[in-house]
Amino acid sequence: MTKVVNILVASVGGQGGLTLSRVIAAAAVMAGYSVRTGETLGMAQRFGSVKSYVRIGVDTPVYSPVFEPGEADILVGMEVAEAYRNHHYLRPMGLAVLSTEEKPPISVSLGKAEPVTMKKLIEALESHGAEIIIINAPRLAREAGNPRAANMVLLGAMNAAKRILPDNAVEEAIRAILRGKRAETSIKAYYLGKEYTGKHKPSKEHWEDKAHASEQT
Amino acid sequence: MGNEAIARGVVEAGASVVTGYPGTPSSEVIETLQRLGQGLGIYVEWAVNERVAFEIAYGAAIAGARSMATMKAPGLNVAADPIVSAAYGGVDAGLVVLVADDPGPHTTQTEQDSRWFAHVAKLPMITPSSPQEAKDFTVKGFLLSEALSLPVFLRTTTRVNHAVGEVVTGEHSEPRWARGFRKQVERFVRAGMSWNLERHRWLNKQLARAELVAEELGLNRVEGSGELCVVTEGSAYNYVVEALGELGLGARVIKLGLLHPFPRSFVSRALTGCERVVVVEELDPYVETMVKKLVAEEERLRHLIVLGKDEGLLPLEGELGPGLVRAALAKAAGLEYEPVRRESPRAPPRPPPLCPGCPHRGTYLGILIGISRAGYRRDEVPVFGDIGCYALSVGEPLRAIWTEHSMGASISMAVGLKLAGFRNPVVATIGDSTFFHAGVQPLIEAVHKRVDILVVVLDNQVVAMTGHQATPAWPRTETGRETKPVRLEEVIRSIGVDNLVIVDPENVDEVADAVAKLLRTPGVNVVIARRPCALLDARLHGVRRRYRVVEEKCTGCNACIAATGCPALYRTPGGKVAIMEADCLGCGICTRFCPYNAIVPVEEETR
Ligand code: SF4
Ligand code: SF4
Repeated sequence: MTKVVNILVASVGGQGGLTLSRVIAAAAVMAGYSVRTGETLGMAQRFGSVKSYVRIGVDTPVYSPVFEPGEADILVGMEVAEAYRNHHYLRPMGLAVLSTEEKPPISVSLGKAEPVTMKKLIEALESHGAEIIIINAPRLAREAGNPRAANMVLLGAMNAAKRILPDNAVEEAIRAILRGKRAETSIKAYYLGKEYTGKHKPSKEHWEDKAHASEQT
Repeated sequence: MGNEAIARGVVEAGASVVTGYPGTPSSEVIETLQRLGQGLGIYVEWAVNERVAFEIAYGAAIAGARSMATMKAPGLNVAADPIVSAAYGGVDAGLVVLVADDPGPHTTQTEQDSRWFAHVAKLPMITPSSPQEAKDFTVKGFLLSEALSLPVFLRTTTRVNHAVGEVVTGEHSEPRWARGFRKQVERFVRAGMSWNLERHRWLNKQLARAELVAEELGLNRVEGSGELCVVTEGSAYNYVVEALGELGLGARVIKLGLLHPFPRSFVSRALTGCERVVVVEELDPYVETMVKKLVAEEERLRHLIVLGKDEGLLPLEGELGPGLVRAALAKAAGLEYEPVRRESPRAPPRPPPLCPGCPHRGTYLGILIGISRAGYRRDEVPVFGDIGCYALSVGEPLRAIWTEHSMGASISMAVGLKLAGFRNPVVATIGDSTFFHAGVQPLIEAVHKRVDILVVVLDNQVVAMTGHQATPAWPRTETGRETKPVRLEEVIRSIGVDNLVIVDPENVDEVADAVAKLLRTPGVNVVIARRPCALLDARLHGVRRRYRVVEEKCTGCNACIAATGCPALYRTPGGKVAIMEADCLGCGICTRFCPYNAIVPVEEETR
């Protein structure tokens, strides 16, 4: 079989999940790969569940913009409940790159549904043997000077673990899509995420950052 | 993205007039052209609705200007009348109508299969499968349109419109503007019945040539070989190619780019030597019906076994995906195939809510409170909804609207209910853009027929749901074109409504009082709840202020969340409520519902 990398980005509308999938796609094109993404745009998707698919054909053209549950090589979870909602997309032994950010859905706030904890998410992912990276992406994004760049921190973490996209392609893609100062701080966030992951191998053992819920700002 | 590729195709084809009405998944074509378009010098603007958009494009095309109209599937229905007549008049330059269907559906009220509409309108329809084809077929659509002197449909689906992929671009061409408009009454005056009969004959003749032109343009193709043949089109093609590879199946793939008229001789040739034919397409068995008709009519194909939706191989509803297509092809080929089954996790539901700070929240809270103040229970006064963000008020905790049907239907359906003898008051709620699009005529009807009805226009001054497009009230458009703003209240007043008040949705009690009073006042009464879309306002002018919860004062009663459902509010592990400050857009509506005054503005210095 030829090599196609399937990535699922799970996020809450407004977090930058769609921008992340577009940056990955643009970087993949710049690196000379074939690429397709599938996403649903429009509609007031702010604060709704957003799922975007990215498929990179390293040495083969890709056709379908989407894939099925159990077929993601990488799950990027920008939010805990959304990562949980989509964890069944990850193939056995796949990689999960998770942000500690939580945005409780209205059903939880109204007391009509049980919240998802990071512990529950980790257990679910471990049941299919996932390799797990957990990172406080909002904090690193703020460090980079761009609170909205948590998505780029996660891209850095993903690339540190899997080395799919060359750094210069990522930089070029970020500059093409975001432009200006936001692009530079996003690139910084990307490298912070990459370095942090390279240095700390942040996995569940290192996950002690309990401050996430109160640290939303 | 597919839509950006279509925009590129428009530029490569040299279209000079591009218009449409926003609708997911079609909107980004015009948005892209507007973003890049100032330098192009072409006309790229939103129209008040789809029929007006098509008529503008048609007016340009009969004068020799290449033009395009874009819309989502329900918009095609709005534009249906002029489109059907345009087939008789024909065009003098390429006119492409982009219609974006939404199998799934992801963001559309129905899973309308617009391919059938090509039959109704008797116009050619083509469909791309990839972003690359989205661009190429746009250019070819203009060529086909000119070769046949007919408007051409470019039909897409969400998975093509919104799929991102690599695209090889071509050359720009100079925009083709009007060359002149010659008087030809037999073409353009549909009042002459003998002319109409004549034009119908002409139309059929043109259509008969479509396949030949499509052939020259390379719209249809055959890939691979074998006795197993798969006829497919659009996004389904992508799943077919990958499924065959994954199953290790050799097959002949017959990919249709021309959907109407059905490329009969091409398919007939392509099917030669096949034994088993599988038709893979989304929604209705459209291609399947055509293939079966062909097979039934042609002696040498009659032995073929055609499998599709009639045989239950694929579902009639929802979008296709790699898994469904893999299973269908495996079954058709008699292969053993065990799909990977994964249970969907039971995660807490997250239906899309109204945004933090959304003015619609205040409007609907005001309506619901106003109904009580007028002495009614909530379930005694129907609240009709319409198409727009405000339809999200159907969700918890507001549960405000009772209907959301089609553009403008809130008012007309409420009128119908009253005319049928319904005794309680009724409320119709409609957004400003939807009102301009299709609400004006229903309001005229209500006034003219003296129906007692309260209409609340939610005026956020933008087409918000589809990504913040211009309304007729804007003083200039996205491309910087100066306009004459059409004032909502002037239009409404001029129709002759009995009472009109303008309120601020952030002041829930002001809305409630107006609603309560007008519910008890006979006549056609209108409330304009005016405040700009919170998201757009924050983007343009920054956030005015934010709020926070004083932890010591909060009792955790949850009244704020239960009333507003604002997604910036959340419960803390300590059983209290807090505000995600970065998300709060400072409407202050939650403060009204906190019995303990625990929600206060964030002080400047602590921000
Ligand atoms: S003030 Fe309250 S209701 Fe308004 S956006 Fe902020 S948290 Fe939401
Ligand atoms: S209404 Fe006031 S007291 Fe009750 S949970 Fe909300 S902030 Fe706390």
